[in-house]
Amino acid sequence: MTTLSIPTTSALSSSQLVPSSHPAVHKILHRLSRPSLLSLVLDWLDERNQENTAPYLISEDAEPDDEDDLYPPASSLASLREIYTDLQARKGSKRDVVDRVIEGDWRDGISLYQLAMADMQYLYDHPGSQKWTALKIAQLSNDEEKPLSAVPRFHPATFLRNLQREILPDVKAHYNLDRHATLPLLILRVFVLESPYNTSLALQSAKQKAILDSSKTFYVAFPDSSPHIFVSLATTPQPGGPRGPSATTSDNRSLRKLILDGIPKAFSKPRERYTLQGTSLAARNLDALVEKRGGGRTNAAGGGWGVYAEEKNGKDNPLNTQLPTPEASILEDDTMEKTADKTVGLKRKREEDEGIVRRRKLVAKGRFGNTAKADDGKGIERFDIRVDDLFPEETAAEDEDLDGNARDRGKKAKGRRSTISTELDKADDDDVRADGWRPDVRLTFHGQHVFAGIRELVEAGIVDGEKMPGWMTGEEGVSLGVVRDGRMRGFKGTGM
Amino acid sequence: MLPSTDDSILEDTVGAQLDSEISSLQSQSKHPLRTHPFHLTPLVLSLKAARKTQATTILSSRATQATLSRLRASQKPTTSHQTSSETDISPLLSSATAQAAHSTENLYRTCAGITTFRIRDPDPHAVDSGHVLGIRIDVSTSGKFVRPYYIMLNKPWAGKELLRVHRHTVPACIPLAALAERWLPNGKGAVAMGGKEMGKKQDLSRFVRAVRREVVGYHNRISIIKGLRREFKLDEKVSRKGKGRERIIADITAADAEAKQVRIEWVDGRIGRAVVDDRGEVGKCVVVGEDGRDREVERRVVAGGMEGIGERLREGMY
Repeated sequence: MTTLSIPTTSALSSSQLVPSSHPAVHKILHRLSRPSLLSLVLDWLDERNQENTAPYLISEDAEPDDEDDLYPPASSLASLREIYTDLQARKGSKRDVVDRVIEGDWRDGISLYQLAMADMQYLYDHPGSQKWTALKIAQLSNDEEKPLSAVPRFHPATFLRNLQREILPDVKAHYNLDRHATLPLLILRVFVLESPYNTSLALQSAKQKAILDSSKTFYVAFPDSSPHIFVSLATTPQPGGPRGPSATTSDNRSLRKLILDGIPKAFSKPRERYTLQGTSLAARNLDALVEKRGGGRTNAAGGGWGVYAEEKNGKDNPLNTQLPTPEASILEDDTMEKTADKTVGLKRKREEDEGIVRRRKLVAKGRFGNTAKADDGKGIERFDIRVDDLFPEETAAEDEDLDGNARDRGKKAKGRRSTISTELDKADDDDVRADGWRPDVRLTFHGQHVFAGIRELVEAGIVDGEKMPGWMTGEEGVSLGVVRDGRMRGFKGTGM
Repeated sequence: MLPSTDDSILEDTVGAQLDSEISSLQSQSKHPLRTHPFHLTPLVLSLKAARKTQATTILSSRATQATLSRLRASQKPTTSHQTSSETDISPLLSSATAQAAHSTENLYRTCAGITTFRIRDPDPHAVDSGHVLGIRIDVSTSGKFVRPYYIMLNKPWAGKELLRVHRHTVPACIPLAALAERWLPNGKGAVAMGGKEMGKKQDLSRFVRAVRREVVGYHNRISIIKGLRREFKLDEKVSRKGKGRERIIADITAADAEAKQVRIEWVDGRIGRAVVDDRGEVGKCVVVGEDGRDREVERRVVAGGMEGIGERLREGMY
């Protein structure tokens, strides 16, 4: 540990140690499950990681200085690995493992890199723990936003160097990049420390303040070959802070803004400037985001249009002489399996006419294609809509005073508003409101997989699949939108 | 859907095959067949596929065509007696027509590369009462057709013939938005194709050609990089025996989404980056090793097209 701290502008080093006794260390490790904690520890013991994750070891012949050490230090990596592999095979409590790590093998401190690894492991174990917002990278030329002529190249090292330059000198950050195990994503974890120093003293002296709380951690995901990025919101206030939640959340918000502002600048290079645009899509599910904003073909072909984007085992090929199979017979194979396992506990279904059920399934297939299935794991959990349609003509007589009421209400509701409603109102720019009263109707769909739910409603005959507006199929690929005349506004075409 | 008449043609072979397969399955499994319905599914599927192939072959053969045209001719005057004839040939005729149409479509797709079709938007509130123009871009690379790319266009402006991209399946590495802005402008003063007014004129055919050019270029670059990897045996396992030539190139990959930058890594630690232009010519190259830039190799890489990089590198080595 250096005794002299000099303010610098560089980033926090990965090998910087956080004292093991810090409550945040305990918290971060403790929220992992026992198996993933053990596999994480074994990763730390890997030869390649020793630079940043070295455990506390003593040489073979050195006398153990403390006779009643609960966790006698091991003498080599291999023996430690053995101990933890042993723990993996045995049953036991998670607490023992955490204690062993904190008080025994990493008693000197846990490095920032280790904390980052633990946080990433938690993220992989709980994919729904972060809410991600998709943003689009757009090109700036003469302060006008233009469509990209090429996907900006993402070079991690250069990007991090540039990002560090954008971050204020009295804030230090630790960056950790990780490749997602299954998705084509590179996830950047940014941990922000409010201190001008990058030594371990900064980490220790700030102990009394809640420096290591998880709200100062941000995640940015970079999908491969796609001009989008996903940022985690993490604006949830930490409950029970001694200073009161309001101060910390506003702090965090400004920190987050700082990082968000830095990202497009870090992407930019001389004569090529970028900016970030919202894409009205936020979800907890990274799979869904990768499908809608990734580098593949499904970005602008959602819902029923997805059939054009999917792989058909080489059937969609000009050298295939066979006639394409009609929709009806494709469905046959599907339903055969489904009815086989659905016979249990569905007495009401039996009464309905087979033909009607079949027809509904066909309609659902036509509208949703092969998307929005309950088990595809690509569900968004919240879908907000403001319907901006004209009030039906029949009640034209009542229009006048209702209109007044609505205006009054609009004025009154000036106090606190949710981010979603402000976001929805943003689209409400220079509208001509002369053509009649448009009531302010807001719908929120909420659930594990919103569009799969709507599909099931269509299949069950509760929603008429043929009259259902297109935005209910999720083909626009947004989680937030304004509907006018039955169509999502701003989506006359795709949001290219 | 296949007409019933096909079954009679194929019944003999397929039926016999099915019987033998079922009996072999029955003899293999100790349990009665009914408890194992899933064993049959792949078999049935393969049989269905075989039946389709045979039906296609029969329907598109010259002899069948001749027979069909005779049938058609004989049918026309005797439409009133159709009910009395023992076999109804109208499904056969309709499927033959469908097959012919399909073959023609395939021919166009293979030879032209860009084909159009009509789609009806299922959305009841869709603009222009749901009329959508589909454009299919077929690209072949290294002897195979890749999955076609689709662009769907509609006319969202009432009373105007201006087109706009509605949906598409083009990945982000093709600059579709920029091309659409160039060739399908739809802002103020934009003029539809064939319009008389002055202004920014939309040009669908040039737009589609530009998109296809990008797509083809992208696939060519990808396949050249694949070829280079094969040339330097990067995807094969390193042979343990140490025979054969020493490996010199450690890795060749595309460095960006559009595969316009090629990253070359040598075993001795040199790293190179080559920038390729639209036509596949190497425009710039930097090779940096431990002792600075390697101008000799840079010159070799830049001296020509992308596909020749491997050959030119080899010349310098041996």
